[in-house]
Amino acid sequence: MTVDVSSAGMPSGLSPRQPQPNPPVNADSILASVDAFRREMTTDIHEEWVEAIYGEASRLAERSVTRPDQKARFDLDRTIDRAVTSRWLGFPIMLILFTFILWLTISGANVPSQMIANVLLGMVHPWLKGVAAAISMPWWLDGLLIDGVYLATAWVVSVMLPPMAIFFPLFTLLEDLGYLPRVAFNLDAIFRKAGAHGKQSMSMMMGFGCNAAGVIATRIIDSPRERLIAIITNNFALCNGRWPTQILIATIFVGGLVPAQLAGLISASAVVGIALLGVLLTFVVSWALSRTVLKGEVSTFSLELPPYRPPRVLQTIYTSLIDRTIYVLWRAIVFAAPAGAVIWLVANIHIGGPSIAEWMIQWMNPFGLLLGLNGVILLAYIVAIPANEIVIPTILMLTVLTAGVSGAGEGAGVMFDPGSTNATAALFTAGGWTLLTAVNLMLFSLMHNPCSTTIYTIYKETGSVKWTALASLMPVAMGFVVTFTVAQVWRLFA
Amino acid sequence: MADKVQIEPIPLTSTQGGHAAAGCDGCAVHNAGALLKLGVDMQNWDYVVALAGNPNTGKSTVFNALTGLRQHTGNWPGKTVARAEGGFVYSDKRYKLVDLPGTYSLLATSLDEEIARDFILFGQPDVTIIVVDATRLERNLNLVLQTLEITDRAVVCLNLMDEARRHKLTIDDRRLARDLGVPVVPTAARQGEGLQDLLQAVHEVATGQVIGKPYRMQKEPKAIKGALDRLVAQLTTAFPGLPNARWVALRLLDGDESIVQAVRSGELGQLISGTPDVAQRQLTHQMEVVL
Amino acid sequence: MESIFSQPLFWVFVFALLFAAAFWPGRGPFWRRLQKNQRQQRVLIEDGLKHVYTFRQREIPVTVESLAGAVELNRSQASELIAEMEESALLHYGESGLELTPKGEALALHVVRAHRLWETHLADTTGLAPTDWHSQADRKEHSLSPAEVDALAASLGHPVFDPHGDPIPTEKGVDAPPSFALTEAKPNQTLRIVHLEDEPPVVFAQLVAEGLHPGMAIQLIEKTDQFLHFVGEGEERRLAPQLAANVSVRPVRNHNGVMLGGAQPLNSLRVGEEAKVVAVSRACRGPERRRLMDLGILPGAAIEVAMPSPMNDPVAYRVRDTLIALRNDQAQMILIERT
Repeated sequence: MTVDVSSAGMPSGLSPRQPQPNPPVNADSILASVDAFRREMTTDIHEEWVEAIYGEASRLAERSVTRPDQKARFDLDRTIDRAVTSRWLGFPIMLILFTFILWLTISGANVPSQMIANVLLGMVHPWLKGVAAAISMPWWLDGLLIDGVYLATAWVVSVMLPPMAIFFPLFTLLEDLGYLPRVAFNLDAIFRKAGAHGKQSMSMMMGFGCNAAGVIATRIIDSPRERLIAIITNNFALCNGRWPTQILIATIFVGGLVPAQLAGLISASAVVGIALLGVLLTFVVSWALSRTVLKGEVSTFSLELPPYRPPRVLQTIYTSLIDRTIYVLWRAIVFAAPAGAVIWLVANIHIGGPSIAEWMIQWMNPFGLLLGLNGVILLAYIVAIPANEIVIPTILMLTVLTAGVSGAGEGAGVMFDPGSTNATAALFTAGGWTLLTAVNLMLFSLMHNPCSTTIYTIYKETGSVKWTALASLMPVAMGFVVTFTVAQVWRLFA
Repeated sequence: MADKVQIEPIPLTSTQGGHAAAGCDGCAVHNAGALLKLGVDMQNWDYVVALAGNPNTGKSTVFNALTGLRQHTGNWPGKTVARAEGGFVYSDKRYKLVDLPGTYSLLATSLDEEIARDFILFGQPDVTIIVVDATRLERNLNLVLQTLEITDRAVVCLNLMDEARRHKLTIDDRRLARDLGVPVVPTAARQGEGLQDLLQAVHEVATGQVIGKPYRMQKEPKAIKGALDRLVAQLTTAFPGLPNARWVALRLLDGDESIVQAVRSGELGQLISGTPDVAQRQLTHQMEVVL
Repeated sequence: MESIFSQPLFWVFVFALLFAAAFWPGRGPFWRRLQKNQRQQRVLIEDGLKHVYTFRQREIPVTVESLAGAVELNRSQASELIAEMEESALLHYGESGLELTPKGEALALHVVRAHRLWETHLADTTGLAPTDWHSQADRKEHSLSPAEVDALAASLGHPVFDPHGDPIPTEKGVDAPPSFALTEAKPNQTLRIVHLEDEPPVVFAQLVAEGLHPGMAIQLIEKTDQFLHFVGEGEERRLAPQLAANVSVRPVRNHNGVMLGGAQPLNSLRVGEEAKVVAVSRACRGPERRRLMDLGILPGAAIEVAMPSPMNDPVAYRVRDTLIALRNDQAQMILIERT
């Protein structure tokens, strides 16, 4: 297409000084001469230009900046940097800081979680049921909306909100302080060997809080290949939704193996062991991806270590609550509400006697047993896909449903919390659980598809069905292989 | 696609206080059509201000200080790059502030740079604030100079002055302003220092009270001078009054595909802007250089 | 409970799935095989044309044998291929053996253009290793249409040379720049490597392993029957003549700041030492190179080692008042001079 010179809108008095050249100048002729010039050029114009600009920048800066005659003898930034990246202190400082944050998140979230649960599950739920009864709502609508949609949503809010409200601000504070780039700097050597970027350590740590937020956090990685690796492997960072599952199962089954005074220590090490296995898997899978499917993606490395700046605490807390916590929570709620309905429906629609849930559990049970799990667990992972937080309540509800435990639970399709670890343990035993089931559940909790919030986030971030499918299916395939192998070996020796 | 919006922006701009006729002082120059395509709706706003700057210059502190809680965050249309948008009112004018991604340069070699560059080039914000780390002026001037190649409506926010003082650096902001040809405002956004001056400078540039005569690179690489001159001549013939012909020529010689597209589709013609005072200012500037 | 594996319905389902996977139209192995046979002939013709084109450019006579070797056919098959190409008016016998007709030349240029552009694409916008470029481009060149090739050229910013230093033809053809083999250079001559022959792959891999790349400035010191001795990017290097014959060079008048003797790689600098950047090696290209430039790592910039990471890689450097961490393999490509 050509550009009509006369219509370009210049009043005649303002025409440029150049005389009009004879051949008509239009878009095509300009582009043709550009092409010709480019062929003639012997130098890299891009480079020459950047050089020239930086040269000018340097000259102008020189003119207006006066530096002190002597360099300051004591440079605080440098001293801190030497310490936090030193061979001996670098790793311990990182480990202590990160353990502290995780500990604060997990233990500190208990109290507010309980409080929210007391209100939303203990008070609002019965009240809603009362209202429904008062206006004589049909039982199925009452069940679908209040026991299904409301309960799942309330559950997700009460277990998800407090840990995220603690973790994200702390993390953001470290980020704003300038410490996190140093972590990436320290750890890059390890990540580089796995074909990844040091900044993946930051998205991985974020993943310990929430995988969806971890996936968003990979935006700081500007190299496409390393960013994809970080996105696909983020699921191996054990998120807040899975820590309680791990802790519960380890306390009941692993802690129960040893004398009471050791139980706490042993079960805690089992959980940490699973988390470390996740880190190991991150490296192994990163390594494999960078050498196979992601071989052709662009890879560059750049990492600026910004000066330390005291963070603005209130601002940080506010923005991290709005940008990260509420954002992720909202996405989770959007997915949890329909899942709550599905959970209630499968437990309450009966086909020739048993409910859909029972049919599905019966159908999947052989496969579940092959993996050292059972049909209840598999169904729970399918219907509780919106959030790992509701996997255990769903398992408990389904166990009561199928094992026919009397006196426990709130009814078909109603998630519940038995109140004590002992009561939970009793339910698991009634469901036919063994130590193998527990170990494999812990493994499967680490290696299964990301929750739907994370899957959706991966799709939004990569814009690709292919990478989303890989990120979703690969962990679950790995989970099947690992649990199957463990189960077979276990049965061989047990 | 470009053809569709080609005629749109001029009437849109003119209905908002700007008018297409010459001699308009203080009317908005932004390209509302292009802005809409970039996801910025200019309804109910008088001026649009872009916030550019290197990473780690306290850009978001400046943004928060100017907009307070009146902001919302999201992504750039079709991109997974975060964007914050906010607004403020100064001297009865409503300003929309758009936070551009923090970049080291505007050469469009990464997605962030492309977004920032396209916003300044095609959106033609009424003012571009370039936030600069006073303690690392040399590095930051790189981005300033690149921005000034594209737009003359800029204000340099010389931020982190508190840290500069801590490092015992003295910065002659008047000389810098003279050298750069645009207002330079020293600030320490964390302490709220200098923000009133910044707003005043933005207001003056937006309303045309202050007209920038930005420093443009004099020293182009010798090897390309001939080609560059001939290309600039062709460009100014096809697009008379193009405010940044030399920069466009350089980008073309560098093989920048989005500029090639802009030439091909005629979108480049829009940069001449509905308000010829830009072209006129450019011309007077050129004449001053000549004289 | 009865296992699902003993239910016939399950096996019927599994079988249906496998059948669908194998015969899926356009995607399954069955259809792929069918398509491959049809495409084979096109690939042979295009490879043959490319062979004739490159040999004629280097003024080497084209024979049935050379063509047979290039497309990996036996002699009689090659004759058949030539006959077919003559029939389609792509080739004819001229004064000096096989020649391309205008139509054949246009097609050959298209294939060469597609090949070199694809190599540039792989080098600049993907993370594939240099040794993978040629083989990938060899496959890709046959499946790109002229429109796709033009779009590719546009997206790459209309490159003029491919990563090996070969000129990328336009639709109209191209003039090869005057260059000669490194073996023909004279001692003390300052040269720039313009091309590394990417065939045979074994030799190319060896040249890459030696750290040679197009754009590299070198100076020949000594030439004997056993080896060529030269400096390039601050290192002294030796190369057997058999290898050197595959390196094309062009004499340079001013070597554009690329220091030969005194320059050293950045990673040779120790903590606290200061230096000036002299050049960024041409081996660093594409996004990686642009990123370094954006960070202000340009000739003339002062650079100082600030601190190593706990495992010594990466290392933080202070450039223009900013700490930038670079990995050792990046630092190796930045040439400096101690100040």
